Amino acid sequence: MSAYPTVKTVDEFKQQPAEYQDAVRKIVRSHALNELYGAQVFDEPAIHLAPTPYAKWLSCRVAMEEYHHHVRFKELADQIGVRPQEMDTKNKRPLNIFEVPLESWEQFCVIKMLGDLAEILQVEDLLHCSFVPLRNIARTTMPEEKFHAQFGLDFCVDLVETDDGREKVQRAVNGFYPEAPKFFGASGSKNNAIYRKYGIKLRSNEDMRADYMARARSTVEPLGIKLPELKIAA
Amino acid sequence: MSEALDEAWFSALGAPLGDAERAEIAGYLLGIGLPGSLPVRAASSWQEAAELCRQPAGEWWQAEEAERSRLERSARLNPADTAWLQVTERLHGAAAIAATRAGCADAALIRVAAGAATYAAYQQRLAQAAAAPPDHPFLRKYALFCGGHWPLGVYEERFAIF
Repeated sequence: MSAYPTVKTVDEFKQQPAEYQDAVRKIVRSHALNELYGAQVFDEPAIHLAPTPYAKWLSCRVAMEEYHHHVRFKELADQIGVRPQEMDTKNKRPLNIFEVPLESWEQFCVIKMLGDLAEILQVEDLLHCSFVPLRNIARTTMPEEKFHAQFGLDFCVDLVETDDGREKVQRAVNGFYPEAPKFFGASGSKNNAIYRKYGIKLRSNEDMRADYMARARSTVEPLGIKLPELKIAA
Repeated sequence: MSEALDEAWFSALGAPLGDAERAEIAGYLLGIGLPGSLPVRAASSWQEAAELCRQPAGEWWQAEEAERSRLERSARLNPADTAWLQVTERLHGAAAIAATRAGCADAALIRVAAGAATYAAYQQRLAQAAAAPPDHPFLRKYALFCGGHWPLGVYEERFAIF
C-alpha cells in the first residue's frame, strides 16, 4: 500500500506537486486513449465478424462498455487538465497492439482473452491508487474488464473444439501475443518509478509483464494452445 | 434521445403478440426486402431466445446491414456520445431486471439482450438522422422493442420474437 497520502478530489489533486499531477495525467490519458482505440479498431468491427446474432449483440454490448470506459477516463482527464488535443486519436499514435488489423472472429476472441487480460492487470494496479477519483474509475470498470476477458476465453473454448478452430485460435495467438508484453512499458522505466513513488501505481513494469506472461500461459494452455516464444526477457 | 430512457424495454417478453405488433413485423420484414408473410415464432423463455439467436441468421442480418450501410452514407453518429451511453446503460439495466424477474442470471445473455436493444436503438437514431420515413423498417423494429418485446431475427424462414 502507498505511503503517499490519498488525494481525494480534483481540488486536492491541483494542490499536489507538478510531478504528481503530470504522472496522473499520463496514466489517465493513456487509459482514455487505449479504451477508445480498442473500441474503434477491435470491438465495433467485431460485430460484423461475429458468426451469430448472439455473438454480434454480445460484441455490441462489449463495444459500448469499452466506449463508456473511455468516456469515464476522458471526463477525469478533462477535470485534471489534460489538453483536448492530447485526447484525440488523430494526434496520438496508438500502441502497437492497436495497429494490427482485425480480420477474423477468432482473432477478436483472442484479443479479448489476452488483450483484456493485459488491461485487467493495468486496472488492478490502480485499485489502490493514491488519487481516489482514478481509483474509483478502476474499481468501476474492473468487473466489466473481467467479463470481457472471460467472454474471449469462453468463445475460444468453443472454437478449439474443432481442429480447424484450434488452428485459427493458435494462429491468432501467434499474431497477437508477441506485441502484448509491450503494453506494460519499458523495463527500468523512469515514469513507472515516479508512479510508484507517489502511490499512483504499485508494481514495476517488469513485475506486471512477468505476471501477465504467466497468467496468459495459464489461460491458453488448458485450451491446447501454446504461446509463441518471445525475445523479451520477463 | 432521452425518450428512449422512458420506454418499456423488455417488459413484455413472452407475452402474446397483438394484431398491431404482427402488422409491425410484416411491415418490418417487407421493409428490409424479406417476405412479410414469414411465419412468426414466439419464444417463451430466455433460454429459448438464447438458443434461437445462437443460430446463424446471415440472410436477415445482411438485409439489415445493407440498409444500415445505405443510411450511414448520409448520417454518422458518435458512439461515445454521453447521452447515448446513458441510453445503453438504461438498456442493460432493463435487460438485467427483466432477466432477474424471470429467474435468469446469465450475465452474458443479459448483455446479448442489451446489445440487441442497443443495436436497434442505434438503427433508429440512424434512420431518424437520415430523415427516413416513419414506416422505415428500423423504426418498426424499434417500436417492437419499445413495446417490451425482443425481436430476435429470422431463423429457418421464421421471424422469431421473445
